[in-house]
Amino acid sequence: MRAFPYGKAAFMFVVLAFVSSGMLFKNAATSRAHRLPAGARKVTFWVFADTHYEAYKKSIPAFEAAHPGVKVDLQLVSNNGLAARLQNAFLADLDVPDMVEIEISSSGTFFRGPLKDIGFADLTERIHSTGLWDKMVHARFAPYTNRGHIFGLPHDVHPVQLAYRRDIAEQLGIDVNKIETWDDFIKVGHRITQLNKRYMIDLSDSGGDNLETCLFQRGGGYFDPDGKCILDNETAIKTMCWYVPLVAGPNRIGNSLGWGQVLTKAVEDGYTLFLFCPDWRSRSFEKDIPRVAGKMALMPLPAVQHGGARTSTWGGTMLGITKRCKEPDLAWALAMHLYLDKPQLAERFRQTSILPAMSEAWNQEAFHEKNAYYSGLALGDSYARLAPDVPFQYTSPFIGVAKAKLGSALVACVQEYSAHPDRDLEPFARAELKRCANDVRTLINRNPY
Amino acid sequence: MNRDQKLSPGRIAAHILLFAMAVVVLTPLVWLVAATTKGKNDQFHYTFFAPTITAQNFLDLFKKTEVLQRNIWNSTFLASITVLVQLFFSSLAGFSLAKYEFKGKKPITILMLATLMIPGQLTMAPLFELLHRLGLVDTYLGLIIPGAVSVFGIFLFRQSISQVPDELLQAARMDGCSEFGIYWNVVMPVSRPMTGAFCLISFMGTWNSFLWPQIILHNRELFTLPIALSQMVGVYSQEYGMLMAGTLIAVLPVFILFLVLQKEFVAGLTAGAVKG
Amino acid sequence: MTQPTNTHKKGWYEVQHRVAPYLFIAPFLVTFLIFGCYPILKSLQLSLYATNGPKSHVFVGFSNYRFLITDPDFRTAVWNTLVYAFWSVFFQLPLALGLALLLSQKWIRGRAILRLAFFSPNLMGQAFVAVLFGILYVPQYGLVNRALHPLMPHLIPLDTKWLQNPSLVMPALVLASLWMYVGFNMIYFLAALQAVDQDLYEAARVDGAGPWHQFLAVTVPGIKPVSVFVLITATIGSFQLYELPYLMLNNSAGPKNAGLTIVMYLFQNGFVTGDLGLASAIGWSLALGVLVISLGQLRLTGTLRNEMQAGKGGKAR
Repeated sequence: MRAFPYGKAAFMFVVLAFVSSGMLFKNAATSRAHRLPAGARKVTFWVFADTHYEAYKKSIPAFEAAHPGVKVDLQLVSNNGLAARLQNAFLADLDVPDMVEIEISSSGTFFRGPLKDIGFADLTERIHSTGLWDKMVHARFAPYTNRGHIFGLPHDVHPVQLAYRRDIAEQLGIDVNKIETWDDFIKVGHRITQLNKRYMIDLSDSGGDNLETCLFQRGGGYFDPDGKCILDNETAIKTMCWYVPLVAGPNRIGNSLGWGQVLTKAVEDGYTLFLFCPDWRSRSFEKDIPRVAGKMALMPLPAVQHGGARTSTWGGTMLGITKRCKEPDLAWALAMHLYLDKPQLAERFRQTSILPAMSEAWNQEAFHEKNAYYSGLALGDSYARLAPDVPFQYTSPFIGVAKAKLGSALVACVQEYSAHPDRDLEPFARAELKRCANDVRTLINRNPY
Repeated sequence: MNRDQKLSPGRIAAHILLFAMAVVVLTPLVWLVAATTKGKNDQFHYTFFAPTITAQNFLDLFKKTEVLQRNIWNSTFLASITVLVQLFFSSLAGFSLAKYEFKGKKPITILMLATLMIPGQLTMAPLFELLHRLGLVDTYLGLIIPGAVSVFGIFLFRQSISQVPDELLQAARMDGCSEFGIYWNVVMPVSRPMTGAFCLISFMGTWNSFLWPQIILHNRELFTLPIALSQMVGVYSQEYGMLMAGTLIAVLPVFILFLVLQKEFVAGLTAGAVKG
Repeated sequence: MTQPTNTHKKGWYEVQHRVAPYLFIAPFLVTFLIFGCYPILKSLQLSLYATNGPKSHVFVGFSNYRFLITDPDFRTAVWNTLVYAFWSVFFQLPLALGLALLLSQKWIRGRAILRLAFFSPNLMGQAFVAVLFGILYVPQYGLVNRALHPLMPHLIPLDTKWLQNPSLVMPALVLASLWMYVGFNMIYFLAALQAVDQDLYEAARVDGAGPWHQFLAVTVPGIKPVSVFVLITATIGSFQLYELPYLMLNNSAGPKNAGLTIVMYLFQNGFVTGDLGLASAIGWSLALGVLVISLGQLRLTGTLRNEMQAGKGGKAR
């Protein structure tokens, strides 16, 4: 120790440095061993949803068997900062995967700047020449289209229903067949809601997720097909004024405790009875709240008015092929395998409960199977029936800001309404949404590209 | 000071207050440990520990996040290398400022003081550009080199080294010792408490840093623990037990280091801060 | 080690003696010039451009700064940061000093354990504290509500949404930061208290000063330099707040941007949207703000100290 002047503490770090370097070398070596010999063909594929990841892991061996010498490197990455990281990598010429699944709300982020800077390959040509355009639900191409070019394949349709605690609803004498419109639903809600103990529906008063679904159901949204912000149109104002009293003020029927195991507990306790439930979420409930198996059921979303659409949409995923991908044909083949191969889609529905965007696949056996968790409902059919009514949604590079602004407007309106439940909310909501939309427009106009 | 060993009511109250506060402070940590032992569906059924304790969270953690073992070693590597590099360069510069008179010493000291006040975020954007041009984005060098010299460390060492008697240095010079020899053989061996303190501070800084590594590192195989954890929050947000298990694993090494180096840490800070 | 004998060796010895201080400080100067000075100047230039990642630039003059002045989000970020800095420092320092004063009393039993307990939260990085508190703060089932509700049943209902209610986000942040940092600053104060010359207390006692007078006459001037140091580092630290709110609010700025800080705003614009120019403009605004505030604090405390020293003739350092 005398030869080392920094003492024991620093010496410990020398040891740590050596040991960890060794481990790093070892890890690097294993990575190299896993890496394929030069000339081998490889497709790197990032997905952000663990349900997709698990399902693809099972269906990729079939693809590799059909394409000898090809290896698919499937990686599960967090959606947190995925868009930021990827966009940065595109712009800074860093390594990017060959294929990526992108969440619908961040897809717009990639369409900023000149067309040549967009990191994804233009798929328009392939989609039309292969006849794909006619096989998939058109509404789902919209969010992945920019300036007339399609940059992504839609993974899903994501119609929304309501999931509910069937056992408690029956105890309370709720007949869901008699609920056709939101007015019916709210009436029941007023009857059974007991503040701070039991709420009719899981609705957020702090973020725009649920409000957005309601907005879509009424034909509203963030942007029109030309990318202009429409957050302050009459539909948005009306939706806001309708939504806020559901989550604020003395007559509220909705509350949301959050996500994760808080939601699990809230559903188990019967704290919230009904929940917005797109197809992907139906599987999350099955996985995360196993204790209420057989006590849950699904019903179509109440309509805005008699005869109106009984669904809306929430979430979505696109599959993009990057421009830097060396083998776009191979990547395309993998995309076809995962998104269009009918038996594969059937198998995957059994694992994820997600209705694929290719409608021809829906008549297979897997989609008619009864689901025990949801009290014996034919899950696939229940969603497929609603798919034609799924509303369009459009995006823009500024979708992130627009979403944040809608959330802020909601919170502001909730605060206003909680303070003055007797006052007419409309002028306030109108001003608030106008301000938000103008903020978004300022940003759009600032963009020099 | 020890006028009476008896406990007066005031003193008893002080003890109660202090220990009650300690309990409050430690409660979240106890909860954290408890959360790692609870099964997925029991997380909120019991406030602290559940009647049955499971290791499932840790097993899941290593099974589902295949690379976690890598993240641990990555963080260890990055932090320990940073400690050593910073220790060497900062103590050297501190020695220079403490024991030599040279041209430009004053402006350099003022410059250093100024950098302490400039928030690092100011330079993030151009630094990213610079590192991008140097090809250091997505490498550990891009994290180590810009932070190779810690200004805070220079100050600490300047302070502690200035207390080393000049006679020691002169005696070594009489023996024909080179200036670096003096640093290596005379100055550093008597500055060990500060060295220990600085190692801990520097290690904690790197081990826990999140924002800059998150910007620089893109390759998942290079991720450090905090980045890996924030990724886990995204994918496994439903599984608090697993998240907490990851947190515990990340915190434990720092805890152990602190327990080992506690004495040096306090002694070092005493020397550094009091006169600073 | 032998005495240098020949002139050649002597010459070398002289040279190395003269060059040594420059060599020793050189690594700092070099890294500082390349990774400190250059980026600082560069960011000044970059702040006049609109950028799309590090590759494409368009000169836009002062448009970035003009935009910042009018942008409501930036104003929110500045306000939140100021509020956070004020409250966290306001509670942190007195608490830390109080704990240190108690723990420096020799008659307290178990001081080592108490010190460790209070300091331990600081061993967790902000990122980890954020994830932990994100769960502790959940409504209805979270530990914070479970603990506070029985104490204040009306003020804090069980389903208090700390992180979803915009007016509670800031208190939640300050509380978490107190948990993290009080112990850390306590260590500084403890060190300062231990260094106060014990003879001064003795002298004060001989003069008939009670504990309170001893505190004012001996302790306060004795720990002044450290207090200023702690005050300034705590302030600068709170101006750089990012990880804690960002991760605690699940990778977002929180409801109605209640947790948006300047650095988070910088990160989102620079590294999410890719506008490095705007990010640089934000960075400069932040740097100027921090500079002004810490210089102000120095002045304020400095003048105060000078007055006290004039009265008592304290030592210079």
